[in-house]
Amino acid sequence: MSLLVTGLNHHTSSITVREKLAFRADTIPSAVFELRKRLENGGVVILSTCNRVEVYVHHGVLDTDTLFERVCEFLADWHKLAPDDFKSSLYTYTNLEAVGHLFRVAGSLDSMVLGEAQILGQVHEAYLTSQAEQAADKVIHQLFQKAFGIAKSVRSETEIGAGNVSVSSVAVDLAASIFEDLSNKTVMIIGSGQMSELTLKSLVSRGVRHVVVVNRNTERAQAMAEPYGGEALPFDRLEEYLHRGDIIISSTAAPRFILHPEQFQRALKQRGQEPMFVIDIAVPRDVEPGVGELDNVYLYNMDDLEQVVGENLETRRQEAARGMGIVQRGVEQFEQWMRGVVAEPTITSIAEEFHRIRQEELAKTLAALPDLTEKQRQEVAYLTERVVKRMLQSPMTQIKHEIGHHDPHTVLHLVRRLFGLKES
Amino acid sequence: MGWTVGLTALGALCLAAVLGLRWAVYHRVPLTTPADSINLMVLCCTLIMIPMERKENLRPLICFYLHPLALLCVLTAVLAHPDLHSEPRELRSSMLALHVGMVFVAYALFFMASMTSLAYIFKARHLKHHNTTGIFHRLPSLEQLDGTLYRLTRVGYPLFGATLILGLVWTHTDRALLGPHWYLAPKVLLAIVMAVFFSMAFHGRRTGLLRGPKLANFIFVGFSLFLAVYVAMALLHLREYNFWGNAP
Repeated sequence: MSLLVTGLNHHTSSITVREKLAFRADTIPSAVFELRKRLENGGVVILSTCNRVEVYVHHGVLDTDTLFERVCEFLADWHKLAPDDFKSSLYTYTNLEAVGHLFRVAGSLDSMVLGEAQILGQVHEAYLTSQAEQAADKVIHQLFQKAFGIAKSVRSETEIGAGNVSVSSVAVDLAASIFEDLSNKTVMIIGSGQMSELTLKSLVSRGVRHVVVVNRNTERAQAMAEPYGGEALPFDRLEEYLHRGDIIISSTAAPRFILHPEQFQRALKQRGQEPMFVIDIAVPRDVEPGVGELDNVYLYNMDDLEQVVGENLETRRQEAARGMGIVQRGVEQFEQWMRGVVAEPTITSIAEEFHRIRQEELAKTLAALPDLTEKQRQEVAYLTERVVKRMLQSPMTQIKHEIGHHDPHTVLHLVRRLFGLKES
Repeated sequence: MGWTVGLTALGALCLAAVLGLRWAVYHRVPLTTPADSINLMVLCCTLIMIPMERKENLRPLICFYLHPLALLCVLTAVLAHPDLHSEPRELRSSMLALHVGMVFVAYALFFMASMTSLAYIFKARHLKHHNTTGIFHRLPSLEQLDGTLYRLTRVGYPLFGATLILGLVWTHTDRALLGPHWYLAPKVLLAIVMAVFFSMAFHGRRTGLLRGPKLANFIFVGFSLFLAVYVAMALLHLREYNFWGNAP
């Protein structure tokens, strides 16, 4: 029984190589079908995302080297490439290493952005495609189910997904830690710029509905406000309207500060001291630092936002180490399950052998006792069945126990010799 | 958190059982000793806390309530356990029992408001200093903390006010017990100061004069002082109404 994963990702290859081997989403079902046909059996899952292309294969007969060669041939044929074009970029994990790799991938411990949530959905999608193509055999099924469980544990038991790692998302997160409901808050954009628009988009996607754009150029302000159903205001009326902004994003090209503590003090008074979140992404800065010292004003400039991004990334890195511990436990549990699967044919053979003997001996006995009634015959049959079951109970438990603690092949070899079974 | 609340609910049941048993054994409402009072207050806090646990975004606040409550229970068990073997003083009328009971419900609300203030101060300070790691992410938003604080004060303050009025009415029915200068007793003065204090907090928040970190600091520091004075009064036996002498 062999399990193999081979593929490439952002760590091992450039996008030039990755895009050559990537599968279009609509071609994955036929690719899965084709590979399984070539392997004549087993389980196949193809995971193709923007950062990785991986093929997971399980086979009951072929060894991992043969599986690797078959997968490479398939990839070369499917993408019309020579195997040497990509073979050197591939990484390969076999058996328990492959299990660990999948658990790391699903738990987002191998992602470009540690802890990103998208990968679990992509792994799930890949598994469902395989299942729909009837290419998810027993081992693949168990492997992926376990991977989903591990991924959930990594996410819930660690802080791997805590805190965003892009400046615009961090700004939205901070807004959400000040305001409970963003839908009734007003975002005021002062000036224009790519980053302020990006942050505005993120805020709108989180429910913000009221947008006010203040710009020296009224036409530009209107153009920016229009897509969000917002309001455009002339720059010279900024102070008059400042109190309306719950979230203020400033990114003008002004050479000196345009917003001062006194203006905010007046604005706070007008809005009954309700908190204000000020994001100053202009360089040079638009908002005087003293504004951040006022009660109920939370001021973040570009450096502050990047500092939060850095802290979140560091937290994720630290949490990844804890996540690895969960993966390791999962691999051990899966190994136990795999050992049970390896033992299954032997256990089935022993049970079949005992039942064959039971049937033979029962037939002989019943033939020697022709006067028995039907009920008595049934009782005797039932008696032999119970005797066999009870006799098998202890050896079966011991076999499972020994397989869990010693090399399964050695244990099974001995068991098969002990019970006089043919080697599988 | 499920386990935490389960265990807390179990603790509350035990406290309720202690109070119930004392009531059954002595045939008196057990509200007069410091241990009984604190037990009742902790019980009230727990009863308010359990529905809060059902709101996912408020759930992390419970850790701000549970720790001091647990500490309070331990301190009560260590310092005031002889109270639990003594007979509670008789509360002469059901109005008085209601008065004392309501006081402790109001205290529970104020206690929770002060712990919510602490959470607010913690979150606002972290946000101000751009430190957004650790428990910061788990705490409710400032707006929600402020709303919770306001709701607790909005219920606690009128309840406390009503309790004081109920107490005033009762004093007319039992002047002999309280002595001629009952209104100058430390306990009564503390209650009046407390009512004024929470009135300021409530109206300050309503009008926007006290809001955000200022309100949170005001409530937290204020309540901590009241608690310290209350404990000192209990230890110095200054909790009698007839502090300035008995009625002639």
